[in-house]
Amino acid sequence: MSEIVHQPATPFRLGVIVLLVVLACAVLVWRAVDLHVFNKKFLQEQGDARAIRVEKVVAHRGMITDRFGEPLAISTPVDSIWVHPKTFLAETAKHAQLAELLEMKVSDIRRMVQSRHDREFVYLKRRINPTIADQVMAMQIPGINTQREYRRYYPLGEVAAHVVGFTNVDDQGQEGLELAFNEWLRGVPGKQRVIKDRLGHVIKYAELIKSADPGKELQLSIDRRLQYLAYRELKRAVFQHKAKSGSAVILDARTGEVLAMVNQPAYNPNNRQYLHGSRYRNRAVTDTFEPGSAIKPFTIAAALESGRYTPQTAVNTAPGYLKVGSNSIRDIRNYGKIDVAKVIQKSSNVGASKIALSMPGEKLWAIHNKVGFGMTSGSGFPGEVEGVLNHSSQWREIDQATLSYGYGISVTALQLARAYGVIANDGILMPVTFLRRSEMPKGEAVMQKKTARQLIAMLEKVVTEEGTGKRANISGYRVAGKTGTIKKAAAGGYQDDKYLSVFAGLAPAGNPRLVMVVVVNEPRQGDYYGGDVAAPVFRKVIAGALHLLGIPPDETGPHSIHVAAAGARQ
Amino acid sequence: MNISAYALGVMHQPREETRSWPVDYTLLGTVVLLLCIGLVMVGSSSVSIAEQQYGSPFFYMWRQAMYIAVGVVAMLVIVRIPLAVWKQAGPFLIILSLLFLMIVFIPGIGRTVNGSTRWLAMGSFSLQPSEFVKLFTLVYLAGYLVRHHVAVQTSTGGFIRPLILMMLLVTLLLLEPDYGAAAVLLATAMGMMWLAGVRIPQFILLIISAASVLALLAYVSPERMERLTSFRDPWAEQFAGGFQLTQALIAFGRGEWFGVGLGGSVQKLFYLPEAHTDFLFAVLAEELGLFGVLVVIGLFTLFVVRSLVIARRAELRERPYAAYLSYGIGLWIGLQVVVNLGVNMGILPTKGLTLPFMSYGGSSLLVMMMAVAILLRVDYETRKDDRVVQKGRRSGA
Repeated sequence: MSEIVHQPATPFRLGVIVLLVVLACAVLVWRAVDLHVFNKKFLQEQGDARAIRVEKVVAHRGMITDRFGEPLAISTPVDSIWVHPKTFLAETAKHAQLAELLEMKVSDIRRMVQSRHDREFVYLKRRINPTIADQVMAMQIPGINTQREYRRYYPLGEVAAHVVGFTNVDDQGQEGLELAFNEWLRGVPGKQRVIKDRLGHVIKYAELIKSADPGKELQLSIDRRLQYLAYRELKRAVFQHKAKSGSAVILDARTGEVLAMVNQPAYNPNNRQYLHGSRYRNRAVTDTFEPGSAIKPFTIAAALESGRYTPQTAVNTAPGYLKVGSNSIRDIRNYGKIDVAKVIQKSSNVGASKIALSMPGEKLWAIHNKVGFGMTSGSGFPGEVEGVLNHSSQWREIDQATLSYGYGISVTALQLARAYGVIANDGILMPVTFLRRSEMPKGEAVMQKKTARQLIAMLEKVVTEEGTGKRANISGYRVAGKTGTIKKAAAGGYQDDKYLSVFAGLAPAGNPRLVMVVVVNEPRQGDYYGGDVAAPVFRKVIAGALHLLGIPPDETGPHSIHVAAAGARQ
Repeated sequence: MNISAYALGVMHQPREETRSWPVDYTLLGTVVLLLCIGLVMVGSSSVSIAEQQYGSPFFYMWRQAMYIAVGVVAMLVIVRIPLAVWKQAGPFLIILSLLFLMIVFIPGIGRTVNGSTRWLAMGSFSLQPSEFVKLFTLVYLAGYLVRHHVAVQTSTGGFIRPLILMMLLVTLLLLEPDYGAAAVLLATAMGMMWLAGVRIPQFILLIISAASVLALLAYVSPERMERLTSFRDPWAEQFAGGFQLTQALIAFGRGEWFGVGLGGSVQKLFYLPEAHTDFLFAVLAEELGLFGVLVVIGLFTLFVVRSLVIARRAELRERPYAAYLSYGIGLWIGLQVVVNLGVNMGILPTKGLTLPFMSYGGSSLLVMMMAVAILLRVDYETRKDDRVVQKGRRSGA
């Protein structure tokens, strides 16, 4: 009924509605332009502040290799698992499976994440195998993520541990060459700007601010075959003689390169948990000892160079002891009147002392100083010590005498090897290095060539049936060397029951290529003579090394004559 | 300007119907375009969250496509229902609405999300009655205004009675709470009454009383008021109440003129909560820029204008029920767009309201498409009248 009198809305009322529509439309358009155009700088900055992060670009550390490029230290990629706590805790279904994969307890994971639930980033487990990380990611658990890192791996383990050293969790060198060449090896991380979503996933790599600078490769002079050989034999000897510790060094006689350097006890750099710091010491460069008879050749060298002695010059060692002031110097037995060569061969303390006392102390000091005692070798190895060589002006008579047979002076195994290198290298002292040489450095002539040759001849006689070092003999090769058996000094004087066994030698004597020093500290299984404890290590290692390096035999002894004769008969 | 000129032209010149299929193609085309843009944006904005929640990046997009399909079926049915049926069903529908809004509060049937009890659980789907209530209320109100138009225009009682009913509905909506739906419903009803000729002093009194209720509310519970006004400076508490809005505003800033490109939004990557529902427009603004924003605003404006044109034509043909219903639908959808866009752009307080035809959500989409079908029906019936009139003229001449 009322429909009939219905009147349409007045244009005024409709106009108000249309006006409102137009007004609303205008306000919306104005606001859109305002936001999109006029406020965009502020809004984008706000957005960037929330979404744009500067991230580190990991740079891997340079590889350390042996002289043939075989790896001694490699940075391998590992993954760290981290979570966005809120997202992670919201979905718990797969946590048990995850815990199993990470070898953790579910309750531990929960507690760890729960306690930091207000953060955006919590590590679950660091540095795991990437294959496990891939399995974790394949589970597609909300809020979980990985981060690429590098872990240092040492393929040779404890064999090269002391030389190579190790890095800490931040990839910084802590010991050994890792420390010495840290700047060279170190990768410099780059920086990049990334856009992240709110859960922390990188969704876009926006801009590289600074590219990562990977560390440089370091090629050492070490020959891993020799290193392994030396390690095996030293460890065996230390074990066999129940010794406290031991060191061995092999130098290339011509170049001064360290071909092998091993110590006992050692450690596994790949797993350093529960280890005592003393094991980290590279004793061959950080520990000094009194070298004993092993140093006699240098007194003889001074004597030969003075012109007053030849290898054949007679020295009277009777009656087997020598009184110097209140002290007396003894030989094992009375050798009587022997020549200089015999003094070396038999290791006569009396003979060596008489020769030493017959010369000006200054001369004696000079030769020891020139072959590098009392100073670091220049290898740059961290923690290398100088040892002790007092100047002759501070000597009493007894000091001059004991120096000749290696007391009152302290050296490192590396120093001793370097000094023997002078004998091996025709009197030229080479700088010692752990790095492979690309060119031959200029050595320093510190001894006459003739003297060096004469010393080798005398030292060869040590390694014979009549000499103290007969157990260093290698069939087919001429070997020259010197034993040392040292009573260890302790507070209050020298001890009768603690010894140090040393052998220093070179081979082949005809054309020396290798110099090796073996030190075994406190053998406690009966034997303690250098010739019995250290010399066999030298023999086994150098015999193997000569074969490995393909160095031809140089012995023209009865055996080879026999072969030649047999050949002639046919 | 061309839009309104076109609209006015249509109003004053009843032109000859030549099309064989009497459909308002402008309206239909606008809706189809909005649905398509919406579907693409739902897909784009939900990729990450769908991947995270369901392991399938297009989960929400396929669901939305399914809802659209259901909506199309519903439209095909509704265009065939004469308006007279709606008019008659009005009182029944309003009772149904009240029931719906009360059922929501029954535990086990109602579903509470984010502190709001707005949904009825139906398996893996949920129905949001408040969406349907909005449409049903308009259907009823249009009928009331026609039946009692003299009373509405002359007596206070005729004006107050529907308001009492509205207050009941609004109260139920506020209890859920669904402030957005309540506000839109109330505003739409007031717009319809304004067009129905409520006396201006009474209308002004109504606005004043609404304003004083709001002021009272602010006085009684200042923290609620604070939440209501925090949108004006979202940066002040950007990691608390203002978080969502700041993230939306950043999306606009990042969009610039032509956007960062479809799929390129950063804000949708967990920064912006509800990126595929209430804050879809912000993602659109980021990916398609000012250009995309203006296109969408333009399409909605065209839609509202077309619905007003349809309503006015029906009114001039003396079909008041069709006219009020069409006015109501136009105002309702327009208001909801304004509120949603205003919320997205930080000029209105953050309230949960979908963007018609575009936001993800089955109930909203279905109801909106039903409303469009009613508009098309109105248009169809008006044109049919025109033809009858024209035929009559021809035969008369």
